[in-house]
Amino acid sequence: MLFLTLLSPTVLSWKNELFRKSHWLRRLFLLALAAGFWLGAYWTVRRVLVYFQSVHGLGPALAFQLLLIILLTFLSMLLFSNLITALSAFFLAQDLALLRSAPTASGDFFAARLTATTINSSWMVLFFTLPILAAYQSVFRGGAFFYLWVALVLPLFLVIPAAAGVLVTHLLVYLLPARRIRDVLFFIGLIAFVILYVLFRVSRPEQLMNPESFGFFLQYLSAMDTPSAPYLPSSWAAEIFGAALFQRPADVWFFFPLLASYALFLVWVGGSVSALVHLAAWSKAQESRQGRRKDRLLDAVLGAALSPFPPAARAVAVKDVKSFLRDTTQWSQLFLLAALIVVYIYNFKVLPLDRSPIPAATLRAMAVYTTTIPTQAYRSSGRPEAGFVLSAVAVRFAFPAVSLEGKAFWILRSAPVALRSIVLGKFWLNLVPLLFLGCLLVFFSNKLLRVPDWMMLLSLATVILMTFGITAIGVGLGAMYPKFDYDHAAQIPTSFGGITAMIVSVAFVALSVMIEAWPVYLLASRSLRPDGAEPSLWVLAPSLALVAALTAAAVVIFVRLGLKSLESMRD
Amino acid sequence: MIRIENLSKHYGRLAAVDALDVEIPAGEIFGFLGPNGAGKTTTIKVMMGILRATAGRVLLGGFDVEREPEKAKAITGYVPDRPFIYEKLTGAEFLQFVGALHRVERPALARRIDEMLETFELSGWRDELVESYSHGMKQRLVLSAALLHEPGILVVDEPMVGIDPRGARKLKDLFLALAKNGVAVFLSTHSVGVAEEVCDRVGIIHKGKLIACGTMAELRSLAKIEEGNLESAFLELTSE
Repeated sequence: MLFLTLLSPTVLSWKNELFRKSHWLRRLFLLALAAGFWLGAYWTVRRVLVYFQSVHGLGPALAFQLLLIILLTFLSMLLFSNLITALSAFFLAQDLALLRSAPTASGDFFAARLTATTINSSWMVLFFTLPILAAYQSVFRGGAFFYLWVALVLPLFLVIPAAAGVLVTHLLVYLLPARRIRDVLFFIGLIAFVILYVLFRVSRPEQLMNPESFGFFLQYLSAMDTPSAPYLPSSWAAEIFGAALFQRPADVWFFFPLLASYALFLVWVGGSVSALVHLAAWSKAQESRQGRRKDRLLDAVLGAALSPFPPAARAVAVKDVKSFLRDTTQWSQLFLLAALIVVYIYNFKVLPLDRSPIPAATLRAMAVYTTTIPTQAYRSSGRPEAGFVLSAVAVRFAFPAVSLEGKAFWILRSAPVALRSIVLGKFWLNLVPLLFLGCLLVFFSNKLLRVPDWMMLLSLATVILMTFGITAIGVGLGAMYPKFDYDHAAQIPTSFGGITAMIVSVAFVALSVMIEAWPVYLLASRSLRPDGAEPSLWVLAPSLALVAALTAAAVVIFVRLGLKSLESMRD
Repeated sequence: MIRIENLSKHYGRLAAVDALDVEIPAGEIFGFLGPNGAGKTTTIKVMMGILRATAGRVLLGGFDVEREPEKAKAITGYVPDRPFIYEKLTGAEFLQFVGALHRVERPALARRIDEMLETFELSGWRDELVESYSHGMKQRLVLSAALLHEPGILVVDEPMVGIDPRGARKLKDLFLALAKNGVAVFLSTHSVGVAEEVCDRVGIIHKGKLIACGTMAELRSLAKIEEGNLESAFLELTSE
């Protein structure tokens, strides 16, 4: 069967990757990480569902609403990821010339690519859906029928966004050149994601956990026993699962055929459209993009800002900044960052500190130093959280710094520039914006919390130190695990090295926070003491010195490790 | 100008380059000829410090590539077989970048960029992003970059791939002109015709070993053929 033949290179590549390469330790680590995430997702959802169930009479309704939200979120993620994957699979893949110049029928080609697209873009969503559904099953006991429905519904639920993505991609590429479309898709997708993310935070879902708001929530639920978007496949899937789990009076024999026929219809339409337009669209997709560039203002700004650096380091920095600003897949990530900052600062705005029985100033100071407690999602943290935000941002931007040289890395390797100055140049280039961001986050969150002056100073000093360490971890591990062969820049942080960088970075932040926790506790709790004795601010000095030493060690170790690893690439 | 002494590069048990010895004086075009997978690109990558040698050493202009890499690279221009370059820079920006890496002073750099773009017929494309260039244009841009700092040594890996006949002719003329001005040109190719046309001496590498080295007449004599061109000698010498 030609369809299977067309899929065989992908399957064989996976098989060879799995059995021939012997990165067993790395695999074990990833497997443990995956198991951790899986169990974490199961445990979290199960806890929430058990809590819902304890609310008399409302449990199933709340759990159903949550299921609707989860499936809707997954559907939107799938739609976006399918658009990008379909674009690569149908129009940009390197094997297209080989396949389309062979006597392959359009139907077989479409079926093989649709299958590959569905698997590539959906496996991660599937990975997270299964523990969630298992948690539902363990709390609400849907029985064997529930598993049967899961097996029947999930493939259809995954095929629908894949077929829709493939269909939309074909139409878009038919009208515009593909490379431009990928940029546009990233841009639109990210903005959509940012809007959704901000809306989600501003809607304050944590209030669902707040018993005070149940008064109006009850009215809300009684008015809304049906899904808010009944025309979406996520709602149909939720209705089917809901019927099995909560014995809701839903007609599964209406919703399942609806889901199945919709999936088949989309596949059929996608196949027909592909047969009609694929060759013409692919032909267009191969046309290169052109555009004159002359950025005098940017040149002047960069020239002034980078004047203290030696010429080679300046040249690398100018190249990096220009490449970043001209690559939509890179700079559009700034939107994500903006959303992160808005949500972060908003978290502090909604902290209900004034309702606390503990003196507000004490609580504010303590809040800066407490980590988030899962059951009280609204009690957020200050500086540690800023550290975690910085870690996430460093993995997004500092970790890919070396990888972004890509296949053009030979230029730097064959130039009369020491590797050390290249890596250090990337360190400084990433450090400056991260320092700015870190100070900004800490300053505004502390202002919103109205913390004492000593806390503001300590937070700023610590975040400045931490940023050095976080940047070194990002750049150093990025040099240790470079990914020079990438489809788009956003893929780099999701590699093994990126995940490792995130874990190491978070551990570094956690360690720094732990070092300072005790003296901060002493100072913050002074107003609670009956004798009013105030410890001196000098109690902070040893721990601050220890954090400085830890940072220096992190910078030296990770920059050296990165350099050593890049050097050893020559072997 | 170029000295390769007892150079070996092993990948595990495979000897990609095995005890290679070559010396190329200033002003000579040396053709490095060999079938696919013979070890040509590996040799060049070791010469440029991109790969580390398992044994032996490479001296460029008297500087050891391992011990004084920056000095060795500063006097060398390198053109790889596949011209991957920064897609999001314009041609002129790419040349500015490479010029800065080689520490070419600003006024001289601007002049050299204009000259190079003119020589390689890229002036009309100077402000276009590299991603819109054709393969041949990228090849020409990389050549411009390699010659920007007026190197004493030029190392070129498979220069004729993807170049049209007119471009190939210009390239050959360029190599001849550079050699005339005292530049040592190390030219790796699997095209016998190119080697025969421009090279003063040719080294034939096969399975990592330099099996023959010399002028055309010397190679013919080594291959024990009275008449015929370099192709006959090459086929004879590399036959199993």
